Amino acid sequence: MASISRVLTKRVLSSKALPVAAQCSSRSFHFSIYGKKDYAKVSDDISTQYPVVDHEFDAVVVGAGGAGLRAAFGLSEAGFNTACITKLFPTRSHTVAAQGGINAALGNMEGDDWRWHFYDTVKGSDWLGDQDAIHYMTEQAPAAVVELENFGMPFSRTEDGKIYQRAFGGQSLQFGKGGQAHRCCCVADRTGHSLLHTLYGRSLRYDTSYFVEYFALDLLMEDGECRGVIALCMEDGSIHRFRSKNTVIATGGYGRTYFSCTSAHTSTGDGNAMVTRAGLPCQDMEFVQFHPTGIYGAGCLITEGCRGEGGILINSEGERFMERYAPNAKDLASRDVVSRSMTIEIREGRGCGPEKDHVYLQLHHLPPQQLATRLPGISETAMIFAGVDVTKEPIPVLPTVHYNMGGVPTNYKGQVITHTEGEDKVVPGLYACGEAACASVHGANRLGANSLLDLVVFGRACALTIADTCTPGEKLSPLKPSAGEESVANLDKIRFANGNTRTSEIRLNMQRTMQNHAAVFRTGDVLKEGCDKMDAIYQTMEDIKTFDRGIVWNTDLVESLELQNLMLNAMQTIHSAEARRESRGAHSREDYKDRMDELDYARPLAGQERKPFEQHWRKHTMSSVDPKTGKVALEYRPVIDTSLDQEACSAIPPAIRSY
Amino acid sequence: MSLLSVCASASKRLVTHALFVESAFTGYLRTASGAVKDKEPLRKAKTPQGRFDMNDEKTKDPLEKFPDDVNPATKEQGGPRGPEPTRYGDWERKGRCVDF
Repeated sequence: MASISRVLTKRVLSSKALPVAAQCSSRSFHFSIYGKKDYAKVSDDISTQYPVVDHEFDAVVVGAGGAGLRAAFGLSEAGFNTACITKLFPTRSHTVAAQGGINAALGNMEGDDWRWHFYDTVKGSDWLGDQDAIHYMTEQAPAAVVELENFGMPFSRTEDGKIYQRAFGGQSLQFGKGGQAHRCCCVADRTGHSLLHTLYGRSLRYDTSYFVEYFALDLLMEDGECRGVIALCMEDGSIHRFRSKNTVIATGGYGRTYFSCTSAHTSTGDGNAMVTRAGLPCQDMEFVQFHPTGIYGAGCLITEGCRGEGGILINSEGERFMERYAPNAKDLASRDVVSRSMTIEIREGRGCGPEKDHVYLQLHHLPPQQLATRLPGISETAMIFAGVDVTKEPIPVLPTVHYNMGGVPTNYKGQVITHTEGEDKVVPGLYACGEAACASVHGANRLGANSLLDLVVFGRACALTIADTCTPGEKLSPLKPSAGEESVANLDKIRFANGNTRTSEIRLNMQRTMQNHAAVFRTGDVLKEGCDKMDAIYQTMEDIKTFDRGIVWNTDLVESLELQNLMLNAMQTIHSAEARRESRGAHSREDYKDRMDELDYARPLAGQERKPFEQHWRKHTMSSVDPKTGKVALEYRPVIDTSLDQEACSAIPPAIRSY
Repeated sequence: MSLLSVCASASKRLVTHALFVESAFTGYLRTASGAVKDKEPLRKAKTPQGRFDMNDEKTKDPLEKFPDDVNPATKEQGGPRGPEPTRYGDWERKGRCVDF
């Protein structure tokens, strides 16, 4: 027996299957495929302390979620030498948590037309969405879903083998007059997970270079053009400059600016902050989508069905407070009414828990059998995420951030734009897609199941636009040798920061301030107070203290850089919200309860005078921040009211939004 | 050679009947060479449960799979298990809302 085992071990040791790393002492983590062109050169142009490696590519994509992967392999398919920089492994991006479905007017369940989907999306956005981008998205939707299905995504099927579509998310037929439409395609209950894995698997067929666990620090801008990205390799602490003619930003949303959000810890708005530091504006940052009942601490959302089945919301005094705010509907009032009532209760001191910052959702007065049959799995959910036995104790809940409608402004082709002298001007070399971008298909409010569609359509749009305007292997514009100096200096400053407040304390302060002042309940005084507090918290960033002085996998450093990004997003959100004096979609104010458009659409239009641009609010907010002082500057840009082709699909004139 | 002697002694310890020993011995030889599938059931099919092992019954999913993965009411194949996720207007699964 012993002789056999000795023979076996000898064979294992001599096999070539062992990784190189175990055999020799010099460790090389990156694979270099034989014969592949990689112009990586080490330079010490910007720093002698940090090794800087320069790369050259035709296109660089920052972020590898649904939109990033689609853009990356779309570009590789078109023949471009593409790099995909991501701080997480692609299948760990937050797209994996999107478990709803994708909307597309395929017409499998009943006759359908993408123009009706277009109408529903325009109405859902409260007429703040750019109608040309919405036209593009809804027209491309059936082709995009069929393309995904051809990539191998296992949608659920009808008996005939067509993709099964269900009713969801405010979709209607015949421009709102034909009843509920069935447009939502799904993959059992894990559409986002399946989408991400399908796209990742597909992207491996093309030779995109993946730079996984590289944290993108800044854009390299010169003469108003984007010439690349500078990133930190978290594995070994080296700085990498990626020079390219085209950069696509697909970094996702910034839910982590709030105390309670459904987003992952990595949703820190890095792309928005990079664009802000480059001096470009971000659009519609004040529109943040909330859900009333998110579990305190965990951030998972509890379905409205709980209240539909008889669950009630109670405050610290045990009172069913919804009776005061909505005497008829009580707990079944609409989501924004419930969110606002909960926030008012917490503000007035009747919140529960040691910090008095949440309310309770009570379900134990319902018979346990009924709960188990109507809402199977809820006892598991409550035990895992809230640690309560739902048949004995109430669940702590508070309004939770779910999606950010705002982001980097783009046109319908995915190119980043600025608004100067009354016109939209394209920033050469810069593109954006996904939740990080604001092509404004969602406008003031996102409809359910539209965001996964947004990812794939605009990811593909960015790839197509780049393929149209450039050719692979084009010569790159010159870049100053010292490009990226400030980013490295900032990195060094944060790495050796020795102030008094820790990163986690500043972050918690920011999150609590945003949750108390820029959440669902917005009034002039509350927002103004919040703006002042946020300005003060921004100044405390000078006093930050970090502990880890190393450079290899320094998560303290990366979290502090992420906090810098979060701060820029938070400042823009709260200042834009304070300035917008109306209620539209997800942004609702107690002191200005109505929508303020150029004409009053509640009354007959004949004889009404159009309000000038400065006096109405049907416009996009373009916010920019001075990173040194934290001062926010706001400008406005008109909404695009014309569709791409007036004959194929006429634009929808604004009207009152009621469901 | 040593392997065969070990196997032979092991089989001798387990059974005493001569004929049975021979058939078992040939059975062992044949399974060792991989030519014939063993017709005898395994004596200890499952490893004994340890102190910290969880019971299998505790990890049952509250949502049951449909027969053949086809929802009997809507005839959807490959769809979500359990009651319809969109019945309350949002996408609900195990009490959690994932989209609205």
